Amino acid sequence: MNKFKAFLTKESWSPYVAGVLLGIVGLLAVLLANSLLGASGAFESIAGGLGKAVAPGLFSNTYWGVEGARAMPIMQPGITWSVVLLLGIVFGGTLGALSSRTFKFRFNDDAQWKRIIGPQPWKRWVIGYFGAIIVEYGAGIAGGCTSGLAISGGMLFVPAAFLFIGGMFISGILTTLIVYRKRY
Amino acid sequence: MTNYIVALLLGVGFGFALNKAGLTKYHKIANQFRFTDMTVLKFMMTAIVVAMIGLYTFRGLGWITFPTVPGTYIVGNLIGGLIFGVGMALTGY
Repeated sequence: MNKFKAFLTKESWSPYVAGVLLGIVGLLAVLLANSLLGASGAFESIAGGLGKAVAPGLFSNTYWGVEGARAMPIMQPGITWSVVLLLGIVFGGTLGALSSRTFKFRFNDDAQWKRIIGPQPWKRWVIGYFGAIIVEYGAGIAGGCTSGLAISGGMLFVPAAFLFIGGMFISGILTTLIVYRKRY
Repeated sequence: MTNYIVALLLGVGFGFALNKAGLTKYHKIANQFRFTDMTVLKFMMTAIVVAMIGLYTFRGLGWITFPTVPGTYIVGNLIGGLIFGVGMALTGY
């Protein structure tokens, strides 16, 4: 029991162990809810739900669906299963940090980021903001993100997952090369 | 309602795994693209293999049917991935 407690309170696990946990969670999602894990879609559902409440005309399109139309929207707007899952992800991450007593509000404390990009928190926020837009836009086009497409698709042997992982690595490596230059 | 409770609990498991793998940190993601830290791939591929074994076994036993799979459209998946990678490498998200 003490060993189990020590395991749970460790700050980081072997990626293989954490990966097994995620694999089991992904399996349970299909078994219990006939759904796939994902994260990026939830942001789009929230955006669609808010948009439909504020500007129904603008948000009445094939992506978020048209009122009364028979065609299913590409992305269901509002509080969907994925949105609840995303909320759980936030709780789970917090719980993980609390379990190892590493929970802290951080604005820019990654040593490597500070060394390469700079110690100013505003840089982290500005790059984070625009980077997140790029991430979400890419996920929207591809049909999922690292979790919803690469992992969930990968476990079902969907070709899309592997195309996505390939694209993600090509541009990820190039971007890192440009950012790090000689320090790559 | 039950479905939402299931979603919340699965999310907690997902977030917990991400935190314990250290993937909530910028340098873990950035260093994957420099190949100095292979955490992202080890984590992803382990999850894929574990879930895959379970899914195909359960389908073989007739316990589950596969949910709607993410669509494959070569250009979209690839271009989406290319855009996604830029943001991921910049931010570490």
